[in-house]
Amino acid sequence: MTMISESIEDEDKWLAEGIAGLQHNAFYMHRALDSNNLRDALKYSAQMLSELRTSRLTPHKYYELYMRAFDELRKLEMFFKEETKRGCSIIDLYELVQHAGNILPRLYLLCTVGSVYIKSKEAPAKDVLKDLVEMCRGIQHPVRGLFLRSYLSQISRDKLPDIGSEYEGDADTVMDAVEFELQNFTEMNKLWVRMQHQGPAREKEKREKERNELRDLVGKNLHVLSQIEGVDLEMYKETVLPRVLEQVVNCKDELAQYYLMDCIIQVFPDEYHLQTLETLLGACPQLQPTVDIKTVLSQLMERLSNYAASSAEVLPEFLQVEAFSKLSNAIGKVIEAQVDMPVVGAITLYVSLLTFTLRVHSDRLDYVDQVLGACVKKLTGKPKLGDNKATKQIMALLSAPLEKYNDIVTALNLSNYPRVMDYLDDGTNKVMAVVIIQSIMKNTTCISTADKVEALFELIKGLIRDLDGTPVDVLDEEDFKEEQNSVARLIHMLYNEDPEEMLKIICTVRKHILQGGPKRLPFTVPPLIFSALKLVRRLQGQEGDVVGEEMAVTPKKIFQLLHQTIEALSIVPSSELALRLYLQCAEAANDCDLEPVTYEFFTQAFILYEEEIADSKAQVTAIHLIIGTLQRMGIFGVENRDTLTHKATGYSAKLLKKPDQCKAVYACAHLFWVDDQDGVKDGERVLLCLKRALRIANAAQQMANVTRGSSGPVTLFVEILNKYLYFFEKGNPQITSSVIQGLIELITTEMQSDNTVSDPSADAFFGSTLRYIQFQKQKGGAMGEKYEPIKV
Amino acid sequence: MVLVLALGDLHIPHRAPDLPAKFKSMLVPGKIQHIICTGNLCIKEVHDYLKSLCPDMHVTRGEYDEDARYPETKTLTIGQFKLGLCHGHQVIPWGDLDSLAMLQRQLDVDILVTGHTHQFKAYKHEGGVVINPGSATGAYSSITYDVNPSFVLMDIDGLRVVVYVYELIDGEVKVDKIDFKKTATTH
Amino acid sequence: MNYLIGAFKPPCKVSITFADGRTRKQASIKKENGQTALVPLFQSQENIVGEVAIEPAQGKKVEHNGVKIELLGQIELYFDRGNFYDFTSLVRELDVPGEIYERKTYPFEFSTVEMPYESYNGVNVRLRYILKVTISRNYVGNIMEYQDIWVRNYTPLPSINNSIKMEVGIEDCLHIEFEYGKSKFHLKDVIVGKIYFLLVRIKIKNMELEIRRRESTGSGPNTYVETETLAKFELMDGAPVRGESIPIRLFLSPYELTPTYRNINNKFSVKYYLNLVLVDEEDRRYFKQQEITVYRLLETF
Repeated sequence: MTMISESIEDEDKWLAEGIAGLQHNAFYMHRALDSNNLRDALKYSAQMLSELRTSRLTPHKYYELYMRAFDELRKLEMFFKEETKRGCSIIDLYELVQHAGNILPRLYLLCTVGSVYIKSKEAPAKDVLKDLVEMCRGIQHPVRGLFLRSYLSQISRDKLPDIGSEYEGDADTVMDAVEFELQNFTEMNKLWVRMQHQGPAREKEKREKERNELRDLVGKNLHVLSQIEGVDLEMYKETVLPRVLEQVVNCKDELAQYYLMDCIIQVFPDEYHLQTLETLLGACPQLQPTVDIKTVLSQLMERLSNYAASSAEVLPEFLQVEAFSKLSNAIGKVIEAQVDMPVVGAITLYVSLLTFTLRVHSDRLDYVDQVLGACVKKLTGKPKLGDNKATKQIMALLSAPLEKYNDIVTALNLSNYPRVMDYLDDGTNKVMAVVIIQSIMKNTTCISTADKVEALFELIKGLIRDLDGTPVDVLDEEDFKEEQNSVARLIHMLYNEDPEEMLKIICTVRKHILQGGPKRLPFTVPPLIFSALKLVRRLQGQEGDVVGEEMAVTPKKIFQLLHQTIEALSIVPSSELALRLYLQCAEAANDCDLEPVTYEFFTQAFILYEEEIADSKAQVTAIHLIIGTLQRMGIFGVENRDTLTHKATGYSAKLLKKPDQCKAVYACAHLFWVDDQDGVKDGERVLLCLKRALRIANAAQQMANVTRGSSGPVTLFVEILNKYLYFFEKGNPQITSSVIQGLIELITTEMQSDNTVSDPSADAFFGSTLRYIQFQKQKGGAMGEKYEPIKV
Repeated sequence: MVLVLALGDLHIPHRAPDLPAKFKSMLVPGKIQHIICTGNLCIKEVHDYLKSLCPDMHVTRGEYDEDARYPETKTLTIGQFKLGLCHGHQVIPWGDLDSLAMLQRQLDVDILVTGHTHQFKAYKHEGGVVINPGSATGAYSSITYDVNPSFVLMDIDGLRVVVYVYELIDGEVKVDKIDFKKTATTH
Repeated sequence: MNYLIGAFKPPCKVSITFADGRTRKQASIKKENGQTALVPLFQSQENIVGEVAIEPAQGKKVEHNGVKIELLGQIELYFDRGNFYDFTSLVRELDVPGEIYERKTYPFEFSTVEMPYESYNGVNVRLRYILKVTISRNYVGNIMEYQDIWVRNYTPLPSINNSIKMEVGIEDCLHIEFEYGKSKFHLKDVIVGKIYFLLVRIKIKNMELEIRRRESTGSGPNTYVETETLAKFELMDGAPVRGESIPIRLFLSPYELTPTYRNINNKFSVKYYLNLVLVDEEDRRYFKQQEITVYRLLETF
């Protein structure tokens, strides 16, 4: 540790020494410049530049020294220019600086004079440039060479014989400019790569860090090349790119290859990349296997995607150059070549390609499918992915078409889509399934054919059933519910106006959800039932329209299906839910005039009530639902009706708690009085129920006396009174005003009794009931007459 | 001005996938002081969503609700009004005004809010006002055909309540309003 | 004016001047004591025309036995001091015995003098051309006056000037091919060439090109060789890899070179060599020496 810190301090010391030496000589150089002393100027500038011969500085520090030298050389250059105006021959000066014995100062001076030489136009720019770039070969030390050539690049930038430049020569000098840059680039890259192999192996990391500090020096050349006006597509294609790629490939250096490929992509126009796609991609498999080529390719595809998005006019170009197939092939080749590439790498590439395809060729589903297919091929033979990163990438791959097309139906057309999903581990597969469902819900897509539904349910099968026989494992209960609820919601998005197709859809869904097992059925069955009931209702409207034709879809058929489906809930078991669904079906069957079917549903409901529903609270609700539903049934003939009402009242009276019995029984009264035109109006049976309810209420009071020593509240009586009033108003002849009067008095007495526990809500209830009676009396007319005899 | 949102019978996910988008965009948190819900949400997600609109939320149990702990009936006082809440499957015959009036008397409330029939109703009788906000999702009902999604917003101001009913008809939200005044006499 | 280094004050002043003294080019020659002097420049086959002036000292008269002027070309070997080998000796009698009592001038001319060797001041040898005026006297010593002239001879561009190309190396360590564009260089020439690396297995620090002069004098057991490195020119900084080609461009004008002198009068040779030196990280030096011919170019305008 001490050694390293020492060396950092040493470096600062050396840098300081270097700067001091440089400044010292610069001082004398300035003196020489001021007195027009060429000889001394050369002498001191050479000495000053000798500081750059140091080997002791890291690139970072060397740069600082270099920058100071650079600044001083600018002054020297100006001086040279002045000298030529004073009559000194630039050609002589060019020779004079070459007398310097040490090569590094000599070449810096030569480049500086060279700059003036080119400006003087006494020789074609290309000749001077060629000479300079050649002579620089004398510096084979990587860092010193890189900086020297960087200096050359800097001073030559504005003097290239480009088209339209003042340095443009007679014929074809753009080529010379290009040649110059290419050569400088090539040599710089060679030097840069050489750094990798210098020094001991244990310092590899340090070297790579230093190399990274220098990389922009190398990349700058490519930038300059891209700025040369005369480099048109033709020249880029024929000369620039092949030469650059040649160097990139041949240098066989991972760092350089990655950086330079990225440089090429960033620095040259997208249009050029499109037109040279094959060449560019052809280089990829030739790169070192450790190069992160997938990032490079992803960058390229992203740029091209953005280019495509920039204007619709460029899209035909993509087709013309067959961009997709070229990229697709290239990726295939890279994956083939880099045998050690982890799966996540390959998938990432496909994600990039898919993104590209969706941007550029969104109408070409075959392309999209092709990419997915290539992915499947890569995954074939491998076990399900456990790798998080790879899984994430596959999810990205699968989500992209969903997001792009906003329409699951399109994704369902991709034959390889489910195959890719199969490679996800079970957990992720389910997550993806939820993503798919969310996409459908978000876009309120409607899936309208049984085929598509089939395909969709295959895709989301991870949610629908236990895959590979493994049971639903340690999934959090909340998450499981959420999952299944999303499946339930999904079912409502499956719809077709054509009843035949709709029935097919329902059957398809049914087939799938019935594989779900007891945990899933309570979630998935209800939405399917209601979907089917909606279909029944639609058919109701159509009945009678089609005469004499054999209809494939009839309510009867659907009810059969419904029956079997609800039956499946018995394995859960989910009796309360099944009971409710049977009653729903009963109502629907009633509306379709299917008496036996309706009866059958009621039978099933009663069976469940009898055999499965044991909880007292559940029984109360269940019996009320039965009564409420039955009350609305108009279809039954007398026999059936009697059987069912008998059962209902019977069970009502057998509820566990007396108050519950009472309420259920007086509810049953409504079974015998339906306000419809042709509804039953059996006043006697109504009264029987009400009387029975009264008896039960009495019994409840007595029990309260016994157990608590005081009567319970009179609420039940008030309720029954209200029911009496109801039927009284409806005109049940069995209910007379005197009956009501008697009941009122009964209640009043009870309330005033010492035994009774006073209950303000019961009092209020009674009070408002009496007020109601008063109100009716005051109504006048038929109602007022009716109520007249009742005294409150 | 106190705003009370009354809605129910969403039947999510048994009969409907979600609230209509147009309703969702109208219902933003912070605008409503109370929510009363007749029941049949049916799942916790819906409960949480409604709670996010307004923390003072009251729910009664519908026969399909996942949470069995909701009460059968509930009463609360908002301003000068006593409100009663009940799903309605307990009141037979379903949707029968007179039977509902009985419940209203029993609960001793000015306004009774019930559901179950999925049909919007708002009527006044001698004992008070009965409101049925319908089904917020337009869910299938065995009782009512062609259910349009609807909900109710009550603006309680002193002795007056304005009942706004929002109905989604053919993709458009239509609003209607009914005024009720309470007499100063308390029961 | 040369003064004799002697105890006696000379009785007269002798001066040798050239007819074209004002126009003739002069060479700036460094003397043994470090100072530089200007010496008239001649080429072989030139005429040496001038005038000797003898001016007796105030009031004196010079009695002599005759006046002559000689043109001597001589080689002096330092290890054999005092021994001059005259390879050329021409004489012109200027005056018959007599008296000089006032300033007298004698014109002289040596026509089309063969001066095949260039004047040269070396380490162990000197070749000079001198004009020597001798005033003979009886009983007392002769009065002598000397005037150096400097001879440079020019040759035209060689008709054949082959390049030097060679492959050298150390087995399994280093293998290079060097090429110098020419084998004959004039004094203001440029050495242009390249070094091509065929095999590099050592860690090279840098490469330089030396110009060495080898002066060999004497023969047989009395041979003296003096080698001097006149130039050290850095060709390359850093370690190259196989396949690199490093350019050479070395201007000769800054260096004090003379033409190659081969076996001058069988007395001495001055030869030039290019020494290519490669230095490795451990400061080991690998070199290859190659003789070049240097000449003085006859410039045609």
